[in-house]
Amino acid sequence: MKQVVVHPERCVGCMQCMVACAVAHSSSGQLYTALAETPRPRPRVHVGAGRYNEGFPNRCRHCDPAPCMLACLAGAIFRDEHTRTVLIDPDKCINCASCAMACPYGVIRFHEDPVAPPGKSVAVKCDNCDRRVSQGLVPACTEVCKSGALTYEEMDEAMRRKTAEVARSVSAGAETAAVPPALALLAAVKKVELSL
Amino acid sequence: MATFENISITEDARLLLQKTQSDGVETVWQRHDAQQPQCGYCETGLSCRICVMGPCRIDPFGEGPQRGVCGADADIIVARNLCRMIAAGAASHSDHGRDLVEVLAAVAEGKAPGYQIRDEEKLKRVAAEYGVTADGKDTLAIAAELADAMMEDYGMRRKSLTLLSRAPEKRRRLWDKIGVTPRGIDRETSEMMHRTHMGVDQDYDNISKQFTRTALADGWGGSMVSTEISDILYGTPTPVAVDVNMGVLKEDHVNLIVHGHEPNMFESMVESCNDPELVKAAQKAGAKGINLVGMCCSGAEMMSRHGVPHAGNFMSTEAVLATGAVDAMCVDIQCIKQGLVAVADCYKTKLITTNRRAHIEGATHIEFVEHEPRSSTDEMVIQAIARFKTRSIPVEIPQISNPGIHGFSHEYINYMLGGTFRASYKPLNDNIVNGRIRGVAGVVGCTNPRVKHDWVHVELTKELIKNDVLVLMTGCAQIAVAKAGLFTPEAAHLAGPGLAEVCETVGMPPVLGVGSCVDNSRILIAASEMVKVGGLGDTLAGLPVAGAAPEWMSEKAISIGQYFVGSGVYTVFGVHFPTVENTKFHNLLFDGLESTYGMGKWDFTADPYDMAQKMIAHIDKKRKELGIDKARERVLMDMASRREMDVA
Repeated sequence: MKQVVVHPERCVGCMQCMVACAVAHSSSGQLYTALAETPRPRPRVHVGAGRYNEGFPNRCRHCDPAPCMLACLAGAIFRDEHTRTVLIDPDKCINCASCAMACPYGVIRFHEDPVAPPGKSVAVKCDNCDRRVSQGLVPACTEVCKSGALTYEEMDEAMRRKTAEVARSVSAGAETAAVPPALALLAAVKKVELSL
Repeated sequence: MATFENISITEDARLLLQKTQSDGVETVWQRHDAQQPQCGYCETGLSCRICVMGPCRIDPFGEGPQRGVCGADADIIVARNLCRMIAAGAASHSDHGRDLVEVLAAVAEGKAPGYQIRDEEKLKRVAAEYGVTADGKDTLAIAAELADAMMEDYGMRRKSLTLLSRAPEKRRRLWDKIGVTPRGIDRETSEMMHRTHMGVDQDYDNISKQFTRTALADGWGGSMVSTEISDILYGTPTPVAVDVNMGVLKEDHVNLIVHGHEPNMFESMVESCNDPELVKAAQKAGAKGINLVGMCCSGAEMMSRHGVPHAGNFMSTEAVLATGAVDAMCVDIQCIKQGLVAVADCYKTKLITTNRRAHIEGATHIEFVEHEPRSSTDEMVIQAIARFKTRSIPVEIPQISNPGIHGFSHEYINYMLGGTFRASYKPLNDNIVNGRIRGVAGVVGCTNPRVKHDWVHVELTKELIKNDVLVLMTGCAQIAVAKAGLFTPEAAHLAGPGLAEVCETVGMPPVLGVGSCVDNSRILIAASEMVKVGGLGDTLAGLPVAGAAPEWMSEKAISIGQYFVGSGVYTVFGVHFPTVENTKFHNLLFDGLESTYGMGKWDFTADPYDMAQKMIAHIDKKRKELGIDKARERVLMDMASRREMDVA
């Protein structure tokens, strides 16, 4: 089964995934109109800055067992048996933040949402774009990511590719770097900037 | 990629795109597809690359940063981005105009052989507006003085541009009051660039004034100068029947396309293509002759003046090469896709850049020089003949061409409506007052792969004429609608009963083509004439008129839009508008310019039917304000009642 795979070394910090995510979870599904919606849609993926100001797309790992699910006293958090996605039922959520305290990655936020009861803040996090995927689309963040930091693929395939890349990069007289030269340069520049 | 039915309404573009795909050639549509999804920060205008403390982005959904490194907020970032678009657009039109001023000066000095003053009457008329008197002077002396006076319009010595005198008095006073009267064509662009530099004008309302002033310097300056000198040098357009579409290419002829914007090179090309020696050379190579065809705005200029056939608009320039029939495509400036190089290479077409300002890597460059025009254009024709001789690509020309009447300059509209006896805009105003014509719309602008090619133009125009709105068109919009066959007098049956009646009486199409994109200035002049003739109020903002650019893509389009808005015209754009709804700057453009400053205002919708409804609603609102929304009772006047009339 395909899933979203994060390749942090390829992130250029453009934050386009955040905009695409918010639009994908708006009522209208269009950027221009989404900006005028109430409640204003919000992203479920969050780009943070690393030690060298390199980007890092932070999103729900859909852990198994999931600490958030174990911590949810209201029973609002459940796992979709088919996709293994951890989901939150906005009607059952009591906004107690237990899940956020339990989450090791800090990817659960609390705000109003188009699918939640009006006027009620609920716990919101990545749903693996289940609505888009059921329509035959790929998750919005992977569609918009230009640098390949977020991909939608079989985990086995991703790992095989990663292994091949690493293997090639460590062999003597390696020609292909694991990270494309332009991205490596960007990362190097950021490091130098900070050391100055 | 979207299916071929969804990307264009024109049969030939679809056929040829299918061909490019099977030939493995990439066109604008594939490249547009490869860019999807496009960056949301840039779409909303919320990214700023003005200084290198950045780049900065404002998160429109509120989670991320709300200010740039310098502290700039969403309003000023969006405003600066649009302001810089205007500066680039105005600079493009104005630099085009500058080239024409230089040719006029060179003609006056006798340094531009092959060029001449074709419309002396217009030269004298325009010269008089610049305070250059004609008495006893010969034509070239007047031309020299006029060119000199126009150069001053580009500089910093004037307090206001000369041609602003054409605008109604009330509008000029308003511009003075707000402080947006343009002073020098280049000065305003330059000041716009300064004000948008890091840390200068950071009040969205104040910067909007320079936004307007720069655009006005384009519409009433650079663009208008371009149009007027083009008419003086190459003749003022009068209606002419022209075929439009790819069927104008001829398999057994040497086909030479000119694409771009300025008429200077194209005019010389007309002479080269008619040179008996070169025609003979073409015949010797096995061709029946040389077939010169225009595209884009170069084509629109030449179509209007000389009836040169037109092969299609901006979205068709790559597709046309797939016919294999194009022996040379000679380009000058603006809207020339770099992607043409690869397409031309595949179909062995000679792609020739001609302008010192616009080289493209991979194309052949033959520089066009005004004081020796024929030397370069002759060379281009020779290259085209050479390509014809060695044609190795199978030729497939979609046999579709659409005849139409083009070339309605503001001078001709004046003549057409009143004849030589009393040439005037009065009949137009009368027909607006009596309701046969509901109002006038300008539908202009580019084509854009983000929307179905030509579809928005054609549907909008049909909807407008059906509702008795007379439509004036320029540039690529004009070509789109010409391909749909609306430029014939017979198309009057698609118009509402009132407009159809007027079209039948005058013998004109319900849609009037006024030229290239710099010729949008003709629409400003026509609208000002309507005000001066009287009966429709005393200001441009009061007229029952509206503007639209339904498939726009370029910075020039934003500049055109704002000079219409600044002149008092309600203007709707399609495709996409790079602002964020409900922000202060957006609200200023879409409301405040009208309610606070008495200008026109912007509007946006991508849907042609919605766009038509918005424009018609605005026209009806203005009719109501003028008190001409209801049929008036006709009163039979006898002599006694005439004597009682208060004749002011």
